[in-house]
Amino acid sequence: MIAANPRIRDLPPSLLAQRFSEASVTLDYGAALVRVRTVLKPFVRDFQRVYGAFFLAEKADFADFHIEVCSGKGLRAILGPQSRFLIDGIQPFDPFPREQALPHFEWGVNWCFGQRFNQHVLLHAGVLALGERGVIMAAPPGSGKSTLTAAMMLRGFRLLSDEFGVLCPRTGQLWPMLKPVALKNRSIDVIRAYTDEAILGPVYGGTRKGDVVHLAPDEASVDARRLPARPRLVLFPRFREGAALTTRRLPSEEAFARLAFNSFNYGLLGRISFHAVADVIDACSAYELEYSRLDEAIECLRAMLSESTVAMAAA
Amino acid sequence: MPACNAFGIDRSNGSGMISLERVDPCVHGLLALLIDPRQAGSVGLADWDKIIRLARQSRLLGVLSYRIQSHPELLPQLPECVLGHLRSAAAYSAHRIQILRIELAALAKALPAEIPVVVLKGAAYIVQNLEITCGRLPSDVDLMVAYSDLKRAEAALLDAGWSGEVIDAYDQRYYREWSHELPPMRRPGHSVELDLHHTITPVTARLKPDTALLFADLQVVEGERFLVLHPQDQILHAAVHLFQDSELFANLRDLVDIDGLIRTHLHSESDWQALAVRAARHHLERPLWYALRYCRAWLATAVPDALPLAAPPAAAIRWMDWLFPRCTLPRIPDRQPPFSRRIAAQLGLLRYQWLRMPPALLLRHLAHKGLHSLRPRPAVPNKAE
Repeated sequence: MIAANPRIRDLPPSLLAQRFSEASVTLDYGAALVRVRTVLKPFVRDFQRVYGAFFLAEKADFADFHIEVCSGKGLRAILGPQSRFLIDGIQPFDPFPREQALPHFEWGVNWCFGQRFNQHVLLHAGVLALGERGVIMAAPPGSGKSTLTAAMMLRGFRLLSDEFGVLCPRTGQLWPMLKPVALKNRSIDVIRAYTDEAILGPVYGGTRKGDVVHLAPDEASVDARRLPARPRLVLFPRFREGAALTTRRLPSEEAFARLAFNSFNYGLLGRISFHAVADVIDACSAYELEYSRLDEAIECLRAMLSESTVAMAAA
Repeated sequence: MPACNAFGIDRSNGSGMISLERVDPCVHGLLALLIDPRQAGSVGLADWDKIIRLARQSRLLGVLSYRIQSHPELLPQLPECVLGHLRSAAAYSAHRIQILRIELAALAKALPAEIPVVVLKGAAYIVQNLEITCGRLPSDVDLMVAYSDLKRAEAALLDAGWSGEVIDAYDQRYYREWSHELPPMRRPGHSVELDLHHTITPVTARLKPDTALLFADLQVVEGERFLVLHPQDQILHAAVHLFQDSELFANLRDLVDIDGLIRTHLHSESDWQALAVRAARHHLERPLWYALRYCRAWLATAVPDALPLAAPPAAAIRWMDWLFPRCTLPRIPDRQPPFSRRIAAQLGLLRYQWLRMPPALLLRHLAHKGLHSLRPRPAVPNKAE
């Protein structure tokens, strides 16, 4: 009888720390495998909480990115300890305080995707799905996208990504890039009040984006990390205090422009991304959604998703 | 001098490789794939993991991608994750090349039509539409004008919105008196740096090509505003750039360029003879000799055995054979580099300075830079990759 591969939260912390120090932790984000090496204890502690539902991939021959999170050099290691982020031995940006090693890592991995993952169109969007029906939520920072993403996962949607909507230009599928959802400032309390079931990491105060807390992806999302979804609904959400729920169906050309310009590498991919985004808009209905109550927004969204699916089937 | 004629390569072991102690076998794997991409189908996943990292570190992932994707029959044999990185690198290279073309078009407009302007290195390969451009990552634009046109060209660029990087009076003087180019310029908001040269090596450097000869044989490219160097001068420029004007560090890409230029520009025995003769006229025999040695050893360039090219002294070759692989070949950076590589990197830097200026000037330069580094300076944000 072979024991099932344990989830990261079920591993003894000392074993996890050992695996990290040997660089034998390979994280499976769905679209990418990331190998991580570190000996930083605060990092391992926080990591175990927000990546709790993930698995340690068995010895993987291949990783897309090779990352090390390490401490500062020399005196720096003692005075004002730091965390440094290295990709292939290169430190692309300044160190963070050591206690913020995890947000530093999250930020760094995003940077790696943004720089080196141009085989896909990278939408700046939250992506969730019911079965294989995908919802793309694109919006500028501050519009409540992450909060709505988090709430949708907590209400049974499968999370594919919070930051990087990975659109494969060859198949038109959305790939999971499953990472913890970074909640900022006021949205932290909103999600705390929303449900007791949210597994949240520690509060990191005073980062570049203010206070940050990570919401752990749930088991269902982790287990489906290798299952792509089909784009069905494109949504541009906007939170406004006290607003009644309103939706507006967007004409294709407007939806196209707004989705294209919410992409990290639209310009870089040129014709490839033009066709990929156009195909998404063809396959989806697109709405602007203004909301103030999460559950109301999510119910509306479910209805839109079934309508859009019925419409697709009829077409 | 049989050793000289055969570029000192012992081909008895069949591989033609210069002995590379403690080099990761995947470095050989990368070189083998650059030479013959059809081997890609038989590379295992664990080797791909390293080869992709090594290729990226050498700025050659796009080139490797182009060479492999030129054999569409191979692609179904490759793992999807590997294909992903190859496609990503191809897209990134195409984007950078496009940006460079836009920059060149803007430069063509900004520079007065009556000044002959030569485009050098990567941008020249783009202007000529050479196949070696495919997958290449161009870094900046290098232009060259005659010394007598330098002031006018600079004024025209400043007028059109380019501006020099803010540097102190000493650095200004360094560039303007001792270098072969002006301080780098850039258009605000644009990512491409522009180096405006008046010759191809620093005026203080040991080896100085014959600038009159360079300018005498410039080539017109049909439909282009810019001129390019004579094809053989393109090869010699790449060689002197690598073996004199670089720190030799992580420069495999430059060697791949030289190999590519040779394959593009030299077609017959007489082309080769002419290259050797031209190297002698420019006093660039030694950098060419080294370039041919390593091209042949690592990239299987078809260098003829008999060339009228004087070999460096045996001791110099041994020294370069120790230094060059340790500086130039990529390595997996998961561990500290071995001691010999760290020493080699320092020596490569020292050698670069030594060849760049005469000893008295070098001493003065290092003294200035040393003192300068003690002064507090405003923090400079880390440059992203």
